[in-house]
Amino acid sequence: MAMEDTIKLIVEQVLAEINNGHKKPVEIEVQNSGNRTVNTGDTDSGKILPDITEVDLKQQLNVPNPLNSGFYRDMKRTTPARIGVWRSGTRPLTDTILRFRADHATAQDAVLNDVSDEFVEKMNLIKLESACSNKDEFLTRPDLGRKLSAESLELLRKQGTKESDVQIIVVDGLSSTAVETNVPDIYPALMQGLAALNIKNTGSPLFVKYGRVAIMDDIGEELKPKVAVILVGERPGLGTAESLSAYLAYNPRHGMLESERTVFSNIHKGGTPAAEAGAHLAGIIKTVLEKKVSGVALS
Amino acid sequence: MIIISVGIDIGTTTTQLVISRLTIKNTAPGSSIPRMEITGKEVLYRSEIYFTPLFGHEIVDSEAIAAIVAKEYGKAALTPDKIDTGAVIITGETAKKENAKKIAESMAGLAGDFVVATAGVNLESVLAGKGSGAAAYSKQRHRVTVNIDIGGGTSNIAVFEEGRVIDTACINIGGHLLEFERNGDKITYISEPARAVLRTCALSWQAGDRVDLEELKKIALVMAECVVESATSGNYSELAQELMMTPALTMDYHVQEIMLSGGVADFVYDGFTPISVAQVTRYGDIGPLLGWAVNQVLSSRGIVPERPGETIRATVIGAGTHSVNISGSTITVSETALPMRNITVVSPFSGEIPERPEEIAVRVQHAVQRVINDGSSETVALAMEGPRMITFNAIQNLATGLAGGMAEFIAKDKPLIVVLFKDCAKVLGQTLQLKLGEDVDIVCIDQVEAGEGDYIDIGKPIMGGRVVPVVVKTLVFANNGV
Repeated sequence: MAMEDTIKLIVEQVLAEINNGHKKPVEIEVQNSGNRTVNTGDTDSGKILPDITEVDLKQQLNVPNPLNSGFYRDMKRTTPARIGVWRSGTRPLTDTILRFRADHATAQDAVLNDVSDEFVEKMNLIKLESACSNKDEFLTRPDLGRKLSAESLELLRKQGTKESDVQIIVVDGLSSTAVETNVPDIYPALMQGLAALNIKNTGSPLFVKYGRVAIMDDIGEELKPKVAVILVGERPGLGTAESLSAYLAYNPRHGMLESERTVFSNIHKGGTPAAEAGAHLAGIIKTVLEKKVSGVALS
Repeated sequence: MIIISVGIDIGTTTTQLVISRLTIKNTAPGSSIPRMEITGKEVLYRSEIYFTPLFGHEIVDSEAIAAIVAKEYGKAALTPDKIDTGAVIITGETAKKENAKKIAESMAGLAGDFVVATAGVNLESVLAGKGSGAAAYSKQRHRVTVNIDIGGGTSNIAVFEEGRVIDTACINIGGHLLEFERNGDKITYISEPARAVLRTCALSWQAGDRVDLEELKKIALVMAECVVESATSGNYSELAQELMMTPALTMDYHVQEIMLSGGVADFVYDGFTPISVAQVTRYGDIGPLLGWAVNQVLSSRGIVPERPGETIRATVIGAGTHSVNISGSTITVSETALPMRNITVVSPFSGEIPERPEEIAVRVQHAVQRVINDGSSETVALAMEGPRMITFNAIQNLATGLAGGMAEFIAKDKPLIVVLFKDCAKVLGQTLQLKLGEDVDIVCIDQVEAGEGDYIDIGKPIMGGRVVPVVVKTLVFANNGV
């Protein structure tokens, strides 16, 4: 708590300074992100404080006089982890702590926010829900996240495509941010790839709120597609809250083994770009359709 | 997956060959999209070191070279069909167009489909620095390391930081620029650069003259000064300036370690002490004495050079193990179009790729036209970093632009080759194929860095078609190109 109090105090002080008499704009040099100079101005005039989460941690070099700057730069470049962040006395820099808390907040937002209805509509997805009635239940009852609600099952029966070659299912999972960020790029790339490989019998795409990976079993049982593809938001971390995974399975059904699912993780702008992943997935789906297996049996 | 790679170095003085085994593995975690990388490099066989067979001083006897290679294959119990890749590097004074062409012809059956004759002092510097271990040293110790490969005709300089080459240069000084009777004191040959050195020392030696050790030492020291200067400082003597074959090192970094390789390096590290003319001319050249002189110059400046892993074999090991790279593992390639060699690289976008397809097309057309018009190449590869943000839309625009800009070129039944740095070759290639139709050969690869003026070789896909071997050749002197 002591640390938090200190931060609160600092933030209050800073805000007070900005509000009171500090008419001269404060210039903050953002190190090594292209030497941008951010003009913080004053908050009264509606200007916005710089977004500290926009700074690329891999390029932020806070150590003032590194003994070996080349090595420092290269070491930082290898990881978004909080290494080589420098200090003030015995504690981290204010900047480091604020960034840590901001990233933590971003991660929580990714989990706790919902994928918007506009997004579902824009992507032309049929909107389903799992048996969970709210976010808390979704987080505490994984078993319910693997089943469709009675109403959704009914809707799926009416509107879903039966016996398609490929059924694409977008699932919020643990990061709604990942879904909203990556699906607009992975989905068209995947569809284009499938079309290029002459796989045209695809089911109307679905979206499942409060869903987990194994929801594909329930949907598979109902629609009997040859292959189901789940695009699901990964549990966010402090490095990124935007990472998406793709799970695909041949003959999805109740009682299938986890080892029957093929997974590609780490789809985000710092990992495999979504558009590239979509094109790659199309090729994998073709192989799965040809070999009629998925998961460990595929490799 | 194992690749057998051969490196052949035909230098001013010596010719040698190494055979290496490269191991390729998927280094991505199990659940990620595979990432293929060369994980192991092991030298399987080192040939004898031959004197380069020459007619006169610059024309290589290509038949004799072919015979050497055939003989060494036999000794290594290898046949040409077992060799997957590699490079023939013709270096130093012998790096002449006529030589390269003839050697490529005489080795056609021996060097497999893949091995390529090439030249260029910049590439040579890089290969020597990688082969000597300077590149690896700079990464392991996190120290900026300069490698000076002192060969028969040239000294090739490469600066490495964290394993990457950051600068190269070359000076026309080597151990074979002055030739003598073996174990004798009679000069048999004075090369042009050696004449420049002699002029500076106010000596007017001619072939046939006899020399004494003190004068020889003086000359070797002047040569060594030039080499050390060219690799360590921005201030060059007039002589060094005259002998530089490339622009000087930029020196906008701080060199922390010096490593020497090449045949002359052995005499730097082994504490060679000149006693008599007969002793220093045991190889019929000034090489051993130059090694001694470099050591003298370095210690007078308080520099202790780091020991390399390889000396005389540095360039050939670099050629055999470091010239080949692997593309990214999500790519689009028309297998029938491969392998392709010596493709001219064109870089249509200096900075970011424009957003509008029309603008992309104009830039591409412009860049390609330039190369086609001057007749320097029939096939071109378009090199670029990739869109700033790899969105599906950006890829569509890029594909439309590329297809538009290359329309005329493709209409002549030529393949569309795109080399990207960012991981987006699968989706871009797929988009291009859809736009251009199945009949157009498309080679779209990523995770390869190439720039305007480079040449690139692309091999047939390996690892179940997932990656292609790539050799990027950076040439400083365009007229040295094959």
